Amino acid sequence: MTNSIRETEKIKFWIGDDHILNIECKPKTTMTIEEGKLSTKLCLELVQNEPLPLLCDLTNVVKMTQECRKHFAGHDHAKVFTKCALLINSPISKIIGNFFLGANRPLKPTRLFTNKKEALKWLKN
Amino acid sequence: MTDFSDDKRLNAILDMIGRIASLDFTEMLEVSEENDMVDAISLGLNMLSEELNSQVVDKKILHEVNAKLEKFAYTVAHDLKSPLNSQAGLIKLLELTLNPDPNSDIDECITKLKRMNEKMKSLVEGVLSYSLAQSKAIEKEEVDLKELVEEVIEIDNFNEKADIEIRNELPVVFFNRTGATQIVRNLLDNAIKYSNKTRCVINIESEEKNKHYEIRFIDNGPGIPPEYQEKIFQLFNQIDPSLKTDSVGIGLATIKSIIEASGGKIWLNSKQGEGSTFIFTINKK
Repeated sequence: MTNSIRETEKIKFWIGDDHILNIECKPKTTMTIEEGKLSTKLCLELVQNEPLPLLCDLTNVVKMTQECRKHFAGHDHAKVFTKCALLINSPISKIIGNFFLGANRPLKPTRLFTNKKEALKWLKN
Repeated sequence: MTDFSDDKRLNAILDMIGRIASLDFTEMLEVSEENDMVDAISLGLNMLSEELNSQVVDKKILHEVNAKLEKFAYTVAHDLKSPLNSQAGLIKLLELTLNPDPNSDIDECITKLKRMNEKMKSLVEGVLSYSLAQSKAIEKEEVDLKELVEEVIEIDNFNEKADIEIRNELPVVFFNRTGATQIVRNLLDNAIKYSNKTRCVINIESEEKNKHYEIRFIDNGPGIPPEYQEKIFQLFNQIDPSLKTDSVGIGLATIKSIIEASGGKIWLNSKQGEGSTFIFTINKK
């Protein structure tokens, strides 16, 4: 059961009963700066300016531009979440996730997971 | 139609690695929708190429900006020298014309004007030295540090102002002579300028390490509080910014710039009330 949902052509956003903000990308998603900014806007609407733990499933993402990665690592997007677990269960998402942590260095605690249960456990701690 | 056979994809990856190695970031690999390992490697190389390109561009812009700033600082300082010298002459003329009574208000004003003019001249000289510091690392020659230290002590009459002892053999280094002179002169001058003892004592020693020499200037001065120990190497940073000392906060920044441009380091060990040790390194040939 979910409290609130937003959806674009490529991404679905919702807050679960556990007060975790979830982001799930649809198959073969390419993320550009425009989609990155729209994601932040929709997330801010959902969390109503009260940052929450974020579970973001990158598995279906096939490309994320440099500008978009910078945006997700920056101040604007950091207003959305307190900590972020990135699910990476495809080769490309693994590369994007590792690159994001290594080269872009997000402002708030961010970790990579292949197991959703472990990701949720870390987010709730 | 794009050929995504494994051989083609792997060859494209090898070519891409070659391009990145030669800092050519103009081309990107095509990524199929298979989302397999080869796609992941291709995308990773594309992202790596983008990041490296950004950093190369940023570095280039930073170098250009720095070069322009240094040129600007040099030009401004150079152009200020002449009016400041004229000003010094006019102050002297004013003093001779008015011939004020000692300790009168006019005498006090003229003394203040002179001090301010001297301070401005020191500042301008300092900015000029700092602007030239980078180039002082370029032309190197064999420099006998012991000889050079003794020469600076003699020319600047430092022995009249302090007891200076060279504790052990100082090395012959491959360094820019003008830069080395400036380092020695500024370190000795600073120790004397800030000394709070009836007699300033400075010991100079060196230690040979694997790849470099460590040179230490140890004084018996007031010491430097921990919160200032990094700041004093920054441009225009002084512990005492008053007009009492003729320091303008450029000397140590200049030294740091000369040393770092030659691949060395400078730092400080000091406890308040127990003197300071300035340590710098000079790489062996």
